[in-house]
Amino acid sequence: MRYGIYVVPAAIVLTLGSLACKPPKTAEQIKADTQRASNEGYQAFKDGKPRATNPYVTNKEEPYMAQGWNDGWDKAKADQEAADKAAADKAAADAKAAADAKAAADRAAAEEAARKAAEAVKETVHMAAAKALMNIHFDFDKSDIKENDRPTLQHIADFMKAFPAAKVEIAGNCDERGTNEYNLALGNKRAAAALAYLKTLGVDEARFTTISYGKEKPLCTEANEACWSQNRRDEFKLK
Amino acid sequence: MPRFLIRTLLCVLAAAGLSAQQTEVVLTATSSTKLVLAMTAPKATGLDDASIAAEFTAVLRRDLDETGIIAVLQERLPVDGAPAKAWKEAGAQWLLSTRLTKAASGDLKLEASVLDTAAESGLFSRTYNANKVVPLRYLAHYLADDLVGRLTGEKGVASSRIVFVRQVSNGVKELFQIDRDGADLVQLTRNGSLTLSPTVAADGRLAYVTYKAGPPEIWGQRRKDGPHERLYPASGAGGMLSSPTWSPDGKRLAFVQGDRRGNSDIMVLDLATGRARRLTDSNGINTEPAWNPNGNQLAFTSDREGGPQVFLMQDDGSNLRRLTSEGLYNASPAWSPNGAMVAYVSRFEGKFDLFVYKLGEGKAYQITTGVSTSESPAWSPDERRLVFTSNRFGSSQLFTTDLSGRQIVRLSDLAGCQSPRWIRGR
Repeated sequence: MRYGIYVVPAAIVLTLGSLACKPPKTAEQIKADTQRASNEGYQAFKDGKPRATNPYVTNKEEPYMAQGWNDGWDKAKADQEAADKAAADKAAADAKAAADAKAAADRAAAEEAARKAAEAVKETVHMAAAKALMNIHFDFDKSDIKENDRPTLQHIADFMKAFPAAKVEIAGNCDERGTNEYNLALGNKRAAAALAYLKTLGVDEARFTTISYGKEKPLCTEANEACWSQNRRDEFKLK
Repeated sequence: MPRFLIRTLLCVLAAAGLSAQQTEVVLTATSSTKLVLAMTAPKATGLDDASIAAEFTAVLRRDLDETGIIAVLQERLPVDGAPAKAWKEAGAQWLLSTRLTKAASGDLKLEASVLDTAAESGLFSRTYNANKVVPLRYLAHYLADDLVGRLTGEKGVASSRIVFVRQVSNGVKELFQIDRDGADLVQLTRNGSLTLSPTVAADGRLAYVTYKAGPPEIWGQRRKDGPHERLYPASGAGGMLSSPTWSPDGKRLAFVQGDRRGNSDIMVLDLATGRARRLTDSNGINTEPAWNPNGNQLAFTSDREGGPQVFLMQDDGSNLRRLTSEGLYNASPAWSPNGAMVAYVSRFEGKFDLFVYKLGEGKAYQITTGVSTSESPAWSPDERRLVFTSNRFGSSQLFTTDLSGRQIVRLSDLAGCQSPRWIRGR
């Protein structure tokens, strides 16, 4: 009984001590606890709880719990922000694509309209040209503008004024009589005669090009005056 | 049929000419009397008689006929092997004997000799060897050219060619060449456009005008056998361009450039520097430049005094003078290779005839007559004949004539030909 004095308090101390001092946690447990705290923090952010509601802040013995919870909350926040940003970017990109498509469509429509307008103008020009650009004719070895061709040239001048963008080639031609080379020069003279006359009618001469085919491109090939007189001509061609 | 008629006519003329000893020949380059040559039948080995007759005897006879200075004896021929005296009595001055051999390899050999029937001595003897790719016709040409050379001191032109323009379809004309006897047609350009005014330099370089880019441009060869390249304008458009003509030394190109006021001027392009110089003064039409053989003067056509007339000037544009005085339309001058004559065309009653102006005499002689037109004269290199175009048997075919205008020969039956140029070699 003598030893009871020591044994009882020792037993008490051991019991209490063993109750007071829990065994230290293993690394695996710490990791699992941290993960759990982190998940809780992640969920807490998703539930709309502020970071200050971290329940582990008071747990001074296991600071990793508080840290894990905060990390979880931060990660949730970062994830949320990334998702928001991606969504915003996608929306912006969609909006831009839509705008571009619309612009392209508008442009195509405008181009189509312009093309149609140009075609219409072109057709008008061609129709007017077909009416106005008639051949004029010359006497043998002559390049003087004949009296009865003046109305034709006036029509050509009117046409040029009505369509200020139109450009015309004047091609001088000759009948088969005379040398090839002399007729090339004569054809040039005939084209120049029409050019000079059109200039006096107030048309800018820069809108005309001249070319001579001499007697190399006859309209007909019989050896008689009816044919020759057709071949001694200036042709006007829309360029 | 017309060909037969012409042949008959020529035979009659030749016979008449022989009996009259050619007293009425108006114009020939050197001699007014023809040498009478007789040919014995060629002795042949390895060749059949028909091909010899067609490709050798007939070709040689035509070549000699067209020289204008050798007449081939056709009638009352002594038998082969008769003595020289018999040939002399038959009228032959020269007696030509030939031997043709075709080897198994196909190579040809021609041995030719000429006997002077009066002196009874040989005066020409030559052997020709030809690779199998050379046609028999060419041997006849070479022999004819040497016989003319033996007689005159200047080789003949039987082996020459003619470059010309021909219409291949509506609005498309290309350059062609053909042998002087109408054989061996070759197409030289394939531009698919108007291609006009060929000119051939002494070394064979070609130049011409083509419309393949739209407006006319002058194209040609800068070096012998070189590619065809644009010679003028260097860039951009050059207005109306026509009539390129090589100078005799082949270093300059005379041509015609037209402006937008209707004038056309004679220009001279220096190929080495690329610089072009204007020789005429923009007073109407100036065209068809033709060099003299020295290359220091040009003949050309101008309408400065009304209708077209032929003028002459120095190659710097100075010393301008009018050559033709008669007629209202004279054009297409061609200066003869020796410089003493200018051929041209003159319009009369709606058609053209060839004339030759003799500069020494200051007089023009009419070469062609008749109802059909004759245009575009160009001289043979030996100055004895002119090549020209005529519609006498249809649409613009090539003919040659001697300077008397009596011996007109159709070169080929191709239609739509223009602007012939006659050059040596092939």
